[in-house]
Amino acid sequence: MMPVAIADCGDSSLRLTATSGDPEQNWELVHHVARWFTAKPGSAVHCVVPTYDSLLIEFDMVRADHDGVRGQVRLAVSEFAGRGAPRESRRLSVPVVYGGAFGPDLPAVAAFLGITEQDVIDLHAGRTYTIRCLGGPVGSPMTDGPAFATPIPRLDSPRPAVAAGHVSVAGRQATIAPAQAPGGWPLLGRTPLRILDIESDELVPYRPGDRITYFAIDADEWDSYAGQRLRALP
Amino acid sequence: MTGFWRVEKAGIAVVTDLGRTAGPTFGLAANGALDQYSAQVANILVANDPNAPLVELTATGLTLRAYAEMLIAVTGAEVACTINGVPRPTWQPVPVARGDVVELGAMTRGLRAYLSVHGSLDAPYLLGSCALDTVIGFGLRLRAGDEFALRRALPSAVNPHLGVSLFDFPTARPALAEVATIDVTDGPDIAEFGPAATTVFGTPYTVSPVSNHIGLRLGGGPVPRRVSSGEILSRAVPIGAVEAPPGDELLVLHRGRGVTAGYPVLGVVTSTSLDTLAQVRPGQQVRFRHTDVRTAIDRKRGEHRRILALADRVGNAFTSLGIDASQLAHALDHPLSTTVRN
Repeated sequence: MMPVAIADCGDSSLRLTATSGDPEQNWELVHHVARWFTAKPGSAVHCVVPTYDSLLIEFDMVRADHDGVRGQVRLAVSEFAGRGAPRESRRLSVPVVYGGAFGPDLPAVAAFLGITEQDVIDLHAGRTYTIRCLGGPVGSPMTDGPAFATPIPRLDSPRPAVAAGHVSVAGRQATIAPAQAPGGWPLLGRTPLRILDIESDELVPYRPGDRITYFAIDADEWDSYAGQRLRALP
Repeated sequence: MTGFWRVEKAGIAVVTDLGRTAGPTFGLAANGALDQYSAQVANILVANDPNAPLVELTATGLTLRAYAEMLIAVTGAEVACTINGVPRPTWQPVPVARGDVVELGAMTRGLRAYLSVHGSLDAPYLLGSCALDTVIGFGLRLRAGDEFALRRALPSAVNPHLGVSLFDFPTARPALAEVATIDVTDGPDIAEFGPAATTVFGTPYTVSPVSNHIGLRLGGGPVPRRVSSGEILSRAVPIGAVEAPPGDELLVLHRGRGVTAGYPVLGVVTSTSLDTLAQVRPGQQVRFRHTDVRTAIDRKRGEHRRILALADRVGNAFTSLGIDASQLAHALDHPLSTTVRN
C-alpha cells in the first residue's frame, strides 16, 4: 500500500496526504481516492477536494464519524493500482501580456531570481503544465511552477483585489485567476481571455489532468483577444 | 397564483440556503447560511425543507409588504419583529395578512437573522445551491421593489386577524453571549507551531471590523508562529480553519473561504461553534476552548436531535391545521436512529 497520512481536520473532515517521494504518484493517488468517493453517491462523504499531494474529505457528521470514514479512505488507498493508467487530457493555450500594468510583479520576481524579465517570461511560457486541481478562490487551474531555480515567496501583504485573468506564481506553483478576488501571489501577466462562465455547467473549461501552455502577446494585441472564451482543445 | 410579497426596504439581505456542499470539488466555496442552526429552525418553523431558500439579514433590518396571506418565521440574531407596528414573536411561525407590513428592525444582539416564508421562494441555482457567491457574482440580494411569488397557499384556519399567537413551539435559541466561547479541535498541522499552539486558549481575542463571511480576523491575543520551514503545496482547508498568517491577527475561515491555501492549519472551529461565530459582531470578544472531535460530534448530533423533534412537532401541528407540511419529510428522513457507522 502507498504510504499515506490521514489526519482529523475538524469535526467533519479528514485530510489524506500521500507521502511517497514521487510527486506524480502522490497526485495520482489522491485523485484516485477522490474519484473512489465520487463514484459512491449516497455516501456520508459529501465533498472531496483533491489537490497536489493531499485530499480533504468532508462528511456528514450526523451520519458518520472519523473512524468510519478513515476505514473507507484506507480501502480506497489499497485499491490504488499505481500510476500510468492513460487518461483523457485536453490542451489549453493561453495568451498572456507579461509585465507592466498587466504583470506588476514581473520585475520583482526577476530580481529575486537574479535573471532578466525576459528569462522569467521564457521560463513561464516555456513548458507545459498539468492542471493538478481546481483551487480557490474560484476554480483556479493550479499547476506546478515554471522551472525557476528557487521557490517564489508570496507577497508580504496580499492585494485586496486581483482582477480576472491574472497569471501568477508562488512557491513551486502557478495559476490563473478566473475571477476577481484577493490574492497574495506575485503577478507575472494577464490574459485577455474569459475563463469563468457561470452560465455553463462546467464553470471553467478545464479539469484536473488537462494541460496548459502560455504564450506571450503584446499589449496592443489585447483587444483582439478580449472577451473571447478560453477553450480546451482535444 | 397565490400572490406575492414585496421588499419595501432592505439593508444587507441575501437569499441563501445551507450551502453549495459540492462546490469545493470545483474550487468554489460552500457559502450558505453562516448560522446553519438558526437557518434550519427558521425553515422548519414554516414547514419548509431545512435546506430551502430563505433570507439572511446581516446587521440590518428589512421591511416587506404582503400581497396575500403568508406564514413567516424569524430566527438568528435578536431582532424586533413588528406587523403594522405591533410586536410579534420571533422563533415562532407568524401568520401575515394581505396588506400587512412586516418590519424587522435593529438587531439588538447577534449579527445575522433569518427570515423564512412558508413555501420558500424562487431563486437561481448553481451546483445544487442558491447560496450567494460574492466572488463569482452569483445569487440574489434583496432590493427595495423586489417581488417574490408565494409558492404555497395557506388554509383559512391560519387566521392572522385573531390577534393571538397560534403557535408556541419550544425552540432553543443561540446564547449570543457578550464574550463568545468558541470550541476548537486540534488542526492537522498543529505540530508545526510547537508548544506555542496552546497559547490561543485563554486570552480573549477581539473580532476585527474587516471580518466577513469569508473569514474572521481576531486581534489582541497571541499569534503562534510556525516553527517548521519548507514550502507548503496548496491544499484544501476546512471551514473553521484557524490560521496564523503574517501580521498580528489570527484568521478563522468561515463558509465563504477560498477552498485552497498554503498556510498550516493550527486548529479547526467546531461546526456548532461556527454558528456562534456567525453571530459575533466586529469589536466583540471571543475566547477559544479546546475540545476533541468526539465531543464536537456528540454536540452536533444532540442539536440535530432537537431539530428533528421540532420538525416532528411542527409537522403534527400544521397537519392538524391543514397546512402543507410535506416538505418537512426531508428533515425527518435523516433520523439519527439509523446513524450509519460506515
